[in-house]
Amino acid sequence: MPFLDRRVLAHFNWSLLLLLLLLAGVGILNLYSAGTLRQDQGVTTAYYYQKQLYWLTIGFLAILVIIVFDYRHLKAIVWPLYGLTLFLLVYVLVYGTAISGATRWIDLGVASFQPTELAKVSVILLCAALLARMPGPLGWRELGKIMLLIAFPVAFIMVQPDLGSGLNILMLAGGMLLFKGINRRILFTCLVGIPVLTPVTWFFLLDYQKQRILTFLHPHRDPLDAGYNTIQSKIAIGSGQLWGKGFLEGTQSQLRFLPAKHTDFVFSVFGEEWGFVGCALLLSLFCLFLYQLVVVAGTSKDSFGAYIASGVFFYFFWQILINLGMVLGLMPIVGIPLPFFSYGGSSTLVNCILLGLVFNISMRRYIFTRK
Amino acid sequence: MHESDPYEPSSKGYLLLTILVVGLFCLILLRLWHLQVLQGREYANEAEQNLLRERSIYALRGLIRDRNGELLAGNRPAYALALIREDCRDIQAALSRISDWTDISFQNLEERYNSRKGRVKSFKPLILIPSLTFSELARIETRLMNWPGLQIIARPQRYYPRAPVFSHLLGYVAQPTLKELRENPSLQLGDTIGKRSLERALDRQLRGSKGKKVLEVDAQGRVLKERIVDKSKSGRSFRLTIDADLQRFIWRKLGDKSGAVVVMRPNSGNVLAMVSKPGYNGNSFVEGISEQKWQGLLNNPRDPLRNRAIQGTYPPGSVFKLVIASAALLRETVPIDKKLHCPGFYRLGNRVFRCWKPGGHGDVALQEAIKQSCDVYFYQLGEKLGIDAISNYARNNGFQQQTDILLPNEHSGVIPGREWKMRNIGRPWQGGDTLNTAIGQGFTLVTPLQISRYVAALVNGGHLLQPNLLAKSEPTQQGRLPLSGDSINFLLNSMRVTVEEPHGTAWRLRTKDAVIGGKTGTAQVIELTEELRGEDTEAIPYRFRDHAWMASYGIRGKKKYVVVALIEHGGHGSSAAGPVIKSVYDYLFP
Repeated sequence: MPFLDRRVLAHFNWSLLLLLLLLAGVGILNLYSAGTLRQDQGVTTAYYYQKQLYWLTIGFLAILVIIVFDYRHLKAIVWPLYGLTLFLLVYVLVYGTAISGATRWIDLGVASFQPTELAKVSVILLCAALLARMPGPLGWRELGKIMLLIAFPVAFIMVQPDLGSGLNILMLAGGMLLFKGINRRILFTCLVGIPVLTPVTWFFLLDYQKQRILTFLHPHRDPLDAGYNTIQSKIAIGSGQLWGKGFLEGTQSQLRFLPAKHTDFVFSVFGEEWGFVGCALLLSLFCLFLYQLVVVAGTSKDSFGAYIASGVFFYFFWQILINLGMVLGLMPIVGIPLPFFSYGGSSTLVNCILLGLVFNISMRRYIFTRK
Repeated sequence: MHESDPYEPSSKGYLLLTILVVGLFCLILLRLWHLQVLQGREYANEAEQNLLRERSIYALRGLIRDRNGELLAGNRPAYALALIREDCRDIQAALSRISDWTDISFQNLEERYNSRKGRVKSFKPLILIPSLTFSELARIETRLMNWPGLQIIARPQRYYPRAPVFSHLLGYVAQPTLKELRENPSLQLGDTIGKRSLERALDRQLRGSKGKKVLEVDAQGRVLKERIVDKSKSGRSFRLTIDADLQRFIWRKLGDKSGAVVVMRPNSGNVLAMVSKPGYNGNSFVEGISEQKWQGLLNNPRDPLRNRAIQGTYPPGSVFKLVIASAALLRETVPIDKKLHCPGFYRLGNRVFRCWKPGGHGDVALQEAIKQSCDVYFYQLGEKLGIDAISNYARNNGFQQQTDILLPNEHSGVIPGREWKMRNIGRPWQGGDTLNTAIGQGFTLVTPLQISRYVAALVNGGHLLQPNLLAKSEPTQQGRLPLSGDSINFLLNSMRVTVEEPHGTAWRLRTKDAVIGGKTGTAQVIELTEELRGEDTEAIPYRFRDHAWMASYGIRGKKKYVVVALIEHGGHGSSAAGPVIKSVYDYLFP
């Protein structure tokens, strides 16, 4: 196979790239504002947007590397990758560095590395490979096998504890199964069973996780501590009104009322400064972006590619839904970032790697016709 | 190797994803519309309130000075070290660092922190050290920037430069109680309020009025901009009639004795000195007194919190003979020069009442009886007057009435009568009670200030004046002694011979070039048993010793003073109170 032949390049998914660039650009701009604090005299801007820019650059390099080879080669390494992921997840629990109470990091000297991010990639690839080989609507046996394989990494991640990432992996895998199609009777059983079993999970949640859910249900229960985030976020976004307060003019964020405004609550800064109009446009961008992933999943010429694309779709979909939901006060607070907006090196890199896979799938969808 | 299963895109899966995207779009868009358009205005208001805070500007409390302008109660900047829990990452580490900076132990700081954290919101300053010394301040201030959440708060604080000497006059300020907060809507937690004496009596005027400013703050309460909406008005300052030097002089002269001394100008009622010992340090209340210190003050047997000049009530002893004598003069009970016999005792029914002088005074007339303080003479005078006349007359001379000096919680004392005894003791009045009343013992209780007001009235020609503490205020007359000028002169003269002539009990007061009149008194604390009666004062247990009185006036040229002293458990009036008053006259008439 020629190295990046003309046809491959010709089928490069330019609209997805455009959407990615737009989202990343607006995200950097917004991080610049989120890092800006009004002081006694003048303002200071934190370095977040610069760092995010470095990570995006690294991410784009990763995309370039990933699109070079045919994604179908990856089938060969899904199991070793899965094994490595499990090893690192166990390793981090034993030797990892604790940051604010959770052990998620492996210190590599120059940089820290979160095995959780690797787990996202390897679970998508493993599921895609398994689903590609399974026939028709899934039965109990197939479901059970996949669930069991996912349960290990998810369990290790949950005990770190990182509820957000664990949930994200669980839900993206669930999405992939739905995309593949599940036996009607099983689907029905799940639809009835999950709401019944959900309360049982309450007993497995940690105290701070229970607090968050209680606080979500009654934000004014504890307006200074846990509920504070939700209340301040809603005030920030609501006070943006129709047109917003303008770039760098948000009082909620500039005066530090907003907590975690460069990470999980970064959308509040955007909502305050750009108003309903800006938010609606941004939402449209996100939805077009997601739709591009849907198109790739729908037009892929092999099932492995289609399932990878669907996994990446759900990876982004759940993050966007949950993050916006919590920032807008529709859901309890779970530590899930908004892709391309929230500051975070590892997650930015993983976002790019996964999109690299999608670009790879998308540009090779015509290769099969030659065979 | 690129073998792949033939793949037909699942139309169901494709549809599912599309529906999810559209659903996400609709859900979030509706929510945004709801928050930003429908409720946008309300949230905008909330954002506005988020960043604007109203704060009070504290008014400086009015100053209190003495008659010569010396500062008795002022303000000084106080620097408190506070911790804001929300901004402090590691409270244990911060506390241990504070302990390094100061002499306060870590355990102590931890205790303070734990006891206060329940009462202060997490984003408000929790005061750990109410007032830092200057060296602590210098040490801490340079290091503070590395410790977010620690804060130095500067605020004006009341200060009493000469704490115990003026404590009973000035009182102190302290944090208001919950009840006081409820009663005064203008007060807030953290304000101070006058709690005692002048600080309390003049509180409204001293306090001034608070101003208001609007601050733009960030979420950590850091102030970014401020705008004054309403200026504060400093409290009114006051100048007192008190002479700080004289007050200090008397304080020193009293040594470790408990008691009260009042120096007054008879013609104006102006109080030049009002000493009550022991006193307390008002500054410790300002800084927030510890429970241990407070209990110490409350349980101290010498009661340092009581202003003996207005709250100490004592039997007047022989000083009261002046009142009995004037009652006799008014009613012409006995002719001035009629001599009565004193064999050293007086028999009433089957009870024997003794004179203080065992052998008796022989035949004495009124002036001689005052001069030598003959008890038997006054037993007879009292018996002739009767208790109704005595109590009626004493009340007309200002006893059992507050002097209405500016200080709160003044006691009015007791002038007993038939009704009074029935009501309070539950037994009928007896002849012996009258005899005891006639020599100022028994149930009668007066304050040193009441005696001062009475003697001042004798000196100024009969005007009962309200004792006054504020400079430049007009004398307030409360009544007149029901006496003729001749009678007043007779009494003043009797006091004078008590000082000047041989055998006078107040001989210690003799002062060159000045007219001094005096009357001693010994107030019995208990009825001493026969064995103790003859003993030296020193031999009697302190709490059983008699209180010593001395009431006096001094005149040189136009300068007129009334000086009254009460020494608690001092024993004899002359020997205990005499030297103190003598030194006051030496000071006043140099």
